[in-house]
Amino acid sequence: MLSAIAKLLKVLNSENEPSQISLAIGFSMIAGLSPFYSLHNILILLLVLVLRVNLSAFILGLAFFSGLAYLLDPIFHWIGLHVLTAGLLRGLWEVLYNSTIWRLERFNNSIVMGSLLLSLIFIVPLCILTNLAILKYREHVLAWIRKSRLMHFIKASKFYETYKSLSKLKGES
Amino acid sequence: MMKWIRWRGLVAFVGVVIVLSGLWFLFIDSFVERMIEKTGSRIVGAKVELADADLSLFPAGLTLKGLQVTDPDEPMKNAFEIDRATFSIDTLNLFRRKAIINEMTLDRLRLGTSRKTSGALPSRTARAPAVSKEGSKKEFKVPLFEVPDVGDVLKKEALKSLKLVESLRADIKREKDNWRARVQDLPDKKKVDEYKTRIDRIKKARKGGIEDILNAASEVAAIRKDLKHDIKNIKGVQKEFKASRALLKERLNQVAKAPDEDVRHLKEKYSLSPKGVSNIAQIFFGEQVGNWVERGLIWYKRLQPVLERAKEMKKDSEVIKPLRARGADVRFKEYEPLPDFLIRNTKASLKLQAGTMTGEVKNITPDQDILGAPLGFVFSGKSLKDIQSIRVTGTLDHIVPSNTKDAVNFRAKGYQIQDIVLSDSTRLPVTLKNGLMDLDGRLAISGEKFRLEAKATLKSATLKVGVQDETNLLATSIRSALSEISGFTLYVDVYGSLDKYDMRITSDLDDVLKRAVRMLVQAQVAQFEKELKVAILERIGAPLKELDTSLTELGIIDDEIDKRINQLDGVLGDVSARSLLGNKNFPF
Repeated sequence: MLSAIAKLLKVLNSENEPSQISLAIGFSMIAGLSPFYSLHNILILLLVLVLRVNLSAFILGLAFFSGLAYLLDPIFHWIGLHVLTAGLLRGLWEVLYNSTIWRLERFNNSIVMGSLLLSLIFIVPLCILTNLAILKYREHVLAWIRKSRLMHFIKASKFYETYKSLSKLKGES
Repeated sequence: MMKWIRWRGLVAFVGVVIVLSGLWFLFIDSFVERMIEKTGSRIVGAKVELADADLSLFPAGLTLKGLQVTDPDEPMKNAFEIDRATFSIDTLNLFRRKAIINEMTLDRLRLGTSRKTSGALPSRTARAPAVSKEGSKKEFKVPLFEVPDVGDVLKKEALKSLKLVESLRADIKREKDNWRARVQDLPDKKKVDEYKTRIDRIKKARKGGIEDILNAASEVAAIRKDLKHDIKNIKGVQKEFKASRALLKERLNQVAKAPDEDVRHLKEKYSLSPKGVSNIAQIFFGEQVGNWVERGLIWYKRLQPVLERAKEMKKDSEVIKPLRARGADVRFKEYEPLPDFLIRNTKASLKLQAGTMTGEVKNITPDQDILGAPLGFVFSGKSLKDIQSIRVTGTLDHIVPSNTKDAVNFRAKGYQIQDIVLSDSTRLPVTLKNGLMDLDGRLAISGEKFRLEAKATLKSATLKVGVQDETNLLATSIRSALSEISGFTLYVDVYGSLDKYDMRITSDLDDVLKRAVRMLVQAQVAQFEKELKVAILERIGAPLKELDTSLTELGIIDDEIDKRINQLDGVLGDVSARSLLGNKNFPF
């Protein structure tokens, strides 16, 4: 737990572009909320590796959203089932259902559909909000914290040692 | 833009894919093996074990070796065991999440093999034994026709004749009291004396004047009228009394006949008619056939998930219910509809104790409604150890889930039967030592209803009958009749619902036995009847006599009524104007 918080702080305090972090969080939301063994997650993995997004942020986000998915499964199922059985969309689903690649994707599963749909809807707002939040954090909070007495106290603690050792080990990626 | 691309990441992705593929190739066989064992055990409810699994991609196929499926009811036995099963899989459809197996071959399929270790799952308790169905397993009793002890019978039974006697006795007493009271109210000696006094007064008037004589004449008319009225009343009462007595007499006659009715009833209840052996086929073969039917139905119910699965329709789309917490798969219209799971053709060699049977099963799928074709199978074997030939064919039609139609036909020729215990009764043990049976039957299941009809013809049969008590004439008669039998035909008819059914087994054995025991039964019945009649008459004789006496005593009342009528008649005879007033010439 201590290590995870240290990692988060390290990511936030790094010299990485805020957009690299927020995009990683966005990708982690798609991969984390939807069932792990889904076809679209291979594409997410490819994007995460090929695009220069922050891998630590992605891994942290993946752990967080995977945990959240357990709580949200009933909602995903409900939304997915309603979308899949909506009369207006039946023609589209029939076309996709008869395509091998979409069958591999398991789009016709209520949880896959519900979770993917929700994460696709929220990815753009999430990225924008995360981006803004990181900028604000670095501009105001980080500067203030660095000067605060609390920070001096933390610097003398075991937690800070962990944080520093992580920084040394992994460098500024 | 290029600052966003991480080329090393692409290499890493390819590396990840290669590593995953390598791991897949290395571990997929063990994974498949474990998956089959785990899933199979969960479905069967007992251990499913696999010696080896081999998955190949080009061409797509799966080979399973040493598959053992434990019988959940008998964990030390396998329901079936297969040495080798090969599957040829349709690769393209596999990508569409459809397990279409074009060809499945089962080598050396064996049923009911022994296990070295128990196949019970540690977390599962043993299943409750199958519930016995009404009519399938009747208590096995060989009828031995013994004359029941009359004393015991009469102790247990309430005789109708005794009840009638008691009832009649009470009624006679009540009637007697009633009539005695009524006779007391009738004109008696006192009344006669009153009439005589009035007559004497008239006689005195004869010596008076004209006016007295005229008054006396009108008094004569009044007396005559009163007398006639009283006589009429008494005669009316007498008529009622006679009717009542006649009714009681009639009831007495009925009571006298009641012992015959008791005898007939008890004879029917306790003695046997030749009808008693009319169900001997049911007795001999009922339990065996019942067990077969029961076992067949258990396996049929176990097959249900293979034939159909839970589905629900939602706004023209079909929702398949998978395992909990994994969502629901919605099925849409397919341009070329195919079930999710289908084994198009299965070839199996079934190794039995008698030899090897070969067969084919077509279209194994839980989605017959999508495939539009039923499951069909045919198994046959020739020149087996104890059977000349056997052939089983069938169709399990679940294309329309609400209107399922399953049919199985079976035929066996020259089945050598040896040492089948038909009756393990200590009093009349019967064993079918040997025989040659031809069996022909059909089973039809429609929804929850089913009917099994079979005809078994037995030739060259030898029945061994042991009789412990040689003094039991009936048992010895059955023995001699059965010993002479060298062949018989058995008809089995089982019908009803899968949970409750009736069974009728008939045979020409019944006629043979009926003929053999008829005379004996008749003699024993006659003896029982005679003893019963004597015993009942002994019980009922005295009360009957008592009733007769009571009825005779009612005659005293009749005599009394007669006496009173005569007295009044006598007075009436004496009462006339001429006799009382003399021979006067009246102007009137």
